[in-house]
Amino acid sequence: MVVSVRRSVRVACLALAAGLALAGCKTIGLQGPGAQAATGTNAPAAGFANMTTGSEEDFILNVGRRTYFAEGSAELDDTARTTLDKQAEWLLRHPQWLLKLQGFADDPGSTQQNTALSKKRAEAVMAYLASRSVDRRRMWARGYGKERIVRDCPDISCTSQNRRVISNLRNERET
Amino acid sequence: MAITRREFVGGATAAALAMAAAPANATNFAKGAGAYFAGIAEDNGVAYRLTNFAKIDPKWRRQVVQYHSTEPQGTVVVDTRNHFLYVIFENQTALRYGAGVGREGFQWFGRARIDRKAIWPDWVPPPEMLERQPDLPRFVSGGPDNPLGPRALYLYRDGQDLGYRLHGTLEPWSIGSDVSSGCIRMFSEDVIDLYQRCPKGTRVLVLKHLGSPDA
Repeated sequence: MVVSVRRSVRVACLALAAGLALAGCKTIGLQGPGAQAATGTNAPAAGFANMTTGSEEDFILNVGRRTYFAEGSAELDDTARTTLDKQAEWLLRHPQWLLKLQGFADDPGSTQQNTALSKKRAEAVMAYLASRSVDRRRMWARGYGKERIVRDCPDISCTSQNRRVISNLRNERET
Repeated sequence: MAITRREFVGGATAAALAMAAAPANATNFAKGAGAYFAGIAEDNGVAYRLTNFAKIDPKWRRQVVQYHSTEPQGTVVVDTRNHFLYVIFENQTALRYGAGVGREGFQWFGRARIDRKAIWPDWVPPPEMLERQPDLPRFVSGGPDNPLGPRALYLYRDGQDLGYRLHGTLEPWSIGSDVSSGCIRMFSEDVIDLYQRCPKGTRVLVLKHLGSPDA
């Protein structure tokens, strides 16, 4: 049964290659292996249609909020520093924003060790931004450890996304 | 380090590059290419030409769009059919980039992982490309006239290099179209941006292209 379905898909796509049934094959293509998971509307996301310079959307699109870390480390590598250079430049141009630095971890060790590492990561980002002339009084750092995991698996495809600091723009200081 | 347009077009590598492109693009390259560039910027000690986005259809520019997907945040989804590359964001949104798709780019689909990343990568044309275009150089070192542009992200599965790359381009007019060579091309500015947003280990999903051999 599976074989015959596959065959009919193939036949339909050969028809496509001959210039026939184009629309029909697009649908078939979407059902192929590995192709099932994503569909887009491609309309601008909320807030991005009439984006202005200095807005949070501008920061997300043109700078980027995430800094990534290697396993067990709170050190900034070249890529992290490049991202933070861009963040610092933007923050200096737009002094109205405050910055909450949220550190996360998904690393070997206990829950407490992960929380401590995540805080160290957020503090490393804060220290670097300060070294790039961003006023320390505009920033604060928090460590969330293994909370809010993006995806949970032991593979680097999961852990690399979780070992991060997110630079969140804020209008006012949290108490 | 800055290069003039004459050096760029007249250089020996540029001749090879013109051959790496489709014949129509080669003509385009020689005649109207200058209009697609706007100034020079420096990146990691290399001067490169900035894209003149006034000449580019706005749909190919980097933007945040609504995107419904079951993929976790941070995943790269390559839609070769529609010439878009997405980085999945939170709340059913994604960062979308325009992409150009080469022959090597639509012969493969499925899941992979970015296990290697390079700044101003060297280029070694794959054997299949050399077969089609025997006059291509065997090796082009990284720099402003390398067809991979300022960055390359290399796709692996189970530790094996799939020979599939996300890279830059010297031909901004090729973004949004199927071209004769390369994998997934992006504007120089965009591939630099993507490099920053994808740590090693990033998951990649390449959707099937209609022109793939088993489509």
